[in-house]
Amino acid sequence: MRYFLLITLIAFICACGSSQPIPQWKDTSFRQLETYKVNFLTDQEDATEPHFAKAKKAASSNNNLLLLSTVYLTKYALHTAALEEFDDSDFLRMEKLHPHAANRAYYNLLKGDFHAVEVKLLPPIYSKLLPFMAQKNLSAANREFASMNDSLSVLIACGIWVKHLPYDDSIVKLAIDIAAANGWRRPLWAYLTTLQQYYLDHQETTKAQNIKERLELLKK
Amino acid sequence: MSRDLKVGLFIVGTTIIILAALLYLANEKGLFANTYVFTLSSKSGDGLTEGMPVVFSGFDIGKVSTLELNDKGMVLIKIKIAQRHVKWIKADSAFILYRPLIGAARIVVTTNNLNSPPLPEDKIVAMETVNDINDAIKKVQPLLEKITQIAENLERLSNNLSDPKGDLNRILSNAQIITKTLSSKKSFLEMAVADEESVQSIYEALKKVKDIVTKIDKMADKMDKQLYGKEGTLPNINQILKDIAGKLQKLDKTVDNINKISTDTSDGMKDFRMLRSDIDDTVNAIDDVAKKLDDLISSKKDPEFKLP
Repeated sequence: MRYFLLITLIAFICACGSSQPIPQWKDTSFRQLETYKVNFLTDQEDATEPHFAKAKKAASSNNNLLLLSTVYLTKYALHTAALEEFDDSDFLRMEKLHPHAANRAYYNLLKGDFHAVEVKLLPPIYSKLLPFMAQKNLSAANREFASMNDSLSVLIACGIWVKHLPYDDSIVKLAIDIAAANGWRRPLWAYLTTLQQYYLDHQETTKAQNIKERLELLKK
Repeated sequence: MSRDLKVGLFIVGTTIIILAALLYLANEKGLFANTYVFTLSSKSGDGLTEGMPVVFSGFDIGKVSTLELNDKGMVLIKIKIAQRHVKWIKADSAFILYRPLIGAARIVVTTNNLNSPPLPEDKIVAMETVNDINDAIKKVQPLLEKITQIAENLERLSNNLSDPKGDLNRILSNAQIITKTLSSKKSFLEMAVADEESVQSIYEALKKVKDIVTKIDKMADKMDKQLYGKEGTLPNINQILKDIAGKLQKLDKTVDNINKISTDTSDGMKDFRMLRSDIDDTVNAIDDVAKKLDDLISSKKDPEFKLP
């Protein structure tokens, strides 16, 4: 029995040692990008976006423009989720040097150019949603949102819809619920502000006033 | 040769010489020259005499030969012009009887265009008259009228002066009245205003003005003391400025110290950089340890970059 235990321990240690080590740059870039995502959504990333800069720096050390453009697209997607504009000049320069169909399709989706998007090239989670976006079918899109299991992807999809398509309060409320459930302050303020403006535009001043007061209390 | 013959020859020779000289003189005087006679007409024969010279550009060229009246009562003057001077007499020549104030009268010929045709002898030309004496009289006449007028004015003025009711006497009497009034009034102002109450008001106003000026003087004195006195504003300001200057000098030292401190800080920053580098190394070391532990404990997979 004692021998058996000793052999098992050695086998475990050997098993751990046999796996190939992850490259430093890759690990750093991945971790910084994940930190950036969380900090951005929780409104802890300041204007200089230091974690994005670190992620970009680590990713660029591999001389891989495809990976770098993925990092940039992640940033653009987060800005879209928070209903913000983004500067796409860096991605376009990389796309010119190293064209990549999947990245281009994702970029077109973020920019609201739905007819230029090839469904097969998109991440699978958006594939069913794209036809509804092209048809501007919000009710069908809402049903699709309910079936999506990734909160960030749903928020990004909501951001694309609100930025580029006609919307009602249902999609904005859905985005608010998702942001609130995950504690993502930055998109939460953005969608609350959008909802307030929506009510003001539709002469629903009481609702707009309520949202305004809610915002003031939450931001206190 | 006999004596008689010699005397005879001398007399004949002398006679010939005398005759020749006379002929020469007569010729020179134009006695044998042809003359042209022109006829002039004038309303009056005043100042005209036979033998009166006819002058062209100041030179005698002829003379008046005869004067006669025609049937219409006009005076016809015939003038003789020697042949050598007839070239100056043209159809457009003007004949003027010139009677100067001093000197003899003469007929002056003026020809503007010497290329014009010669004056026919049978043509009667009207003569004009220039009379300096008459012109002088005409000029003196208005002067005399003015002198007469001045004399009349002087006479009127003297009459006015001598008249007890004249303007001058009236002015003098008015002046007398004014001087009397002036001597009776208290002031020139009273005389000008002619109202004692008004004068009193003006006096009071002037007194008030004097009081105001006195007060302003006092205020100026006070202001002067406040500004320039021993404890005045300006000495205080000077004191404050001196204090500020002193403090600025001290501040210079402070600035020097700050410069020194900033230099020291700059040097210290190098140490900070070193320290930060050490901290970075330490953090990286801890990170490496954590990563290795993570690798040992968990079966970590290769991270995959996926679009969200």
